[in-house]
Amino acid sequence: MKLTKTNHYKAFSVPLLQENPISRQMLGICSALAVTVQMKTAIVMGLSLTFVLAFSNLAISLMRNVIPRNIRMIVELSVIASLVIIADELLRAFLYDISKQLSVFVGLIITNCIVMGRAETYALGHPPGLSFMDGLGNGAGYSSVLISVAFIRELLGSGKLLGYQVIPTMAYDLGYENMGFMLLAPAAFIIIGLLVWFQNWLTSDR
Amino acid sequence: MSSYVKSIFFALTTAVTCSFLLTAASAGLKGLQLENIEVDKKKNILMAVGLVNSEETIQKKDILDIYQENIQGLWVSPEGEILDQTSAVETLLPIYIYLKGKEIASYIIPVNTRGLWGKIFGYLALNSDGSTITGFTVYKHSETPGLGGEIEKRWFQKNFEGKKILDQIGGFASISIAKGFLPETFPQDKLPNFVDGISGATLTGKYLTTGLRNVLQTYEPVSIKFRTRQSILIREK
Repeated sequence: MKLTKTNHYKAFSVPLLQENPISRQMLGICSALAVTVQMKTAIVMGLSLTFVLAFSNLAISLMRNVIPRNIRMIVELSVIASLVIIADELLRAFLYDISKQLSVFVGLIITNCIVMGRAETYALGHPPGLSFMDGLGNGAGYSSVLISVAFIRELLGSGKLLGYQVIPTMAYDLGYENMGFMLLAPAAFIIIGLLVWFQNWLTSDR
Repeated sequence: MSSYVKSIFFALTTAVTCSFLLTAASAGLKGLQLENIEVDKKKNILMAVGLVNSEETIQKKDILDIYQENIQGLWVSPEGEILDQTSAVETLLPIYIYLKGKEIASYIIPVNTRGLWGKIFGYLALNSDGSTITGFTVYKHSETPGLGGEIEKRWFQKNFEGKKILDQIGGFASISIAKGFLPETFPQDKLPNFVDGISGATLTGKYLTTGLRNVLQTYEPVSIKFRTRQSILIREK
């Protein structure tokens, strides 16, 4: 069987594009607005969410047959919250500057609807391997949107990519100016809107 | 086993497992985190005197090296005497000196004030003329990101550079944060004592203004020493 035909591959690739959590399901927009001024923060945020999502899906899927139904939400939440705190502790130990820039947004992954949503709708009904791939796929889908938005915002807003100046000083001498609007949250809204339109246009049956 | 007992048992197991994991993560990483906080404080001191640019990324080791080379942590008595003393006595105030060769280029005072939601910690660096601000940084706060949280951003802190804590006739005026941006009609003679505020964060600005005034007042005896160019004794280590 070809790799692209396996269920694991599908669990990973479907949320990446067709069912992208941000551009299709409109979840997790809040953090997409807040941390996409720079690519660096967007990448770290994407990685943190992917970590939390993959492992919460895995853990909840492993327990899916023993969780009592009446307290399943509480159990899901404590698993997610613990993973988020661990991610936050790791960031503070190894990437202190970025964790300062991300401030509350790492902690807010707990309330990110994507994580809870995948646990409820997917992990509770699928085996661990598939759930883990689904978590990775959703995380990658979220990250890809975040990074695309951050790419546009950082390039147009401050003329940099990953903190390195890419627009030459010559351009500024000739009268080029950074687009200050890109540094504000509404810019992310507009870019996400354009991305959604672009994706719909790509995937629509023409 | 009834379903109630099962639920309670399951909840307990989850809680205990999670708390074990969290304790392990917290205890295991504490050393590294504390070290990061220490380095970050030193980086903020260096940023306040302009030795380090906040936008570039610097290695931990480089920060410690630059700090070691240029900055000296000392204590001042309430009367403004700078003492070369390593032990903390309660009445003494901490101060940091930026030495350029043997000359004191600027002195840095720690800022610890009330904000809207919690304490604001930072550093205010003053030129050795005892009046001109060379820089202001914030390394810890609990203000709302995007509003009061902007106090940690470069655009806000940059406004402090070159401002004065004295008015035109040489009296103590402190430094105040305006409500929103300074209007163009703002009186020229007061301009050196005011910086642009953050729209949407008037209260944070108000608390910070009061806090800075209190801190500067406390350190005013030292500032007077600097202003009048009285010999400031710093013994070699």
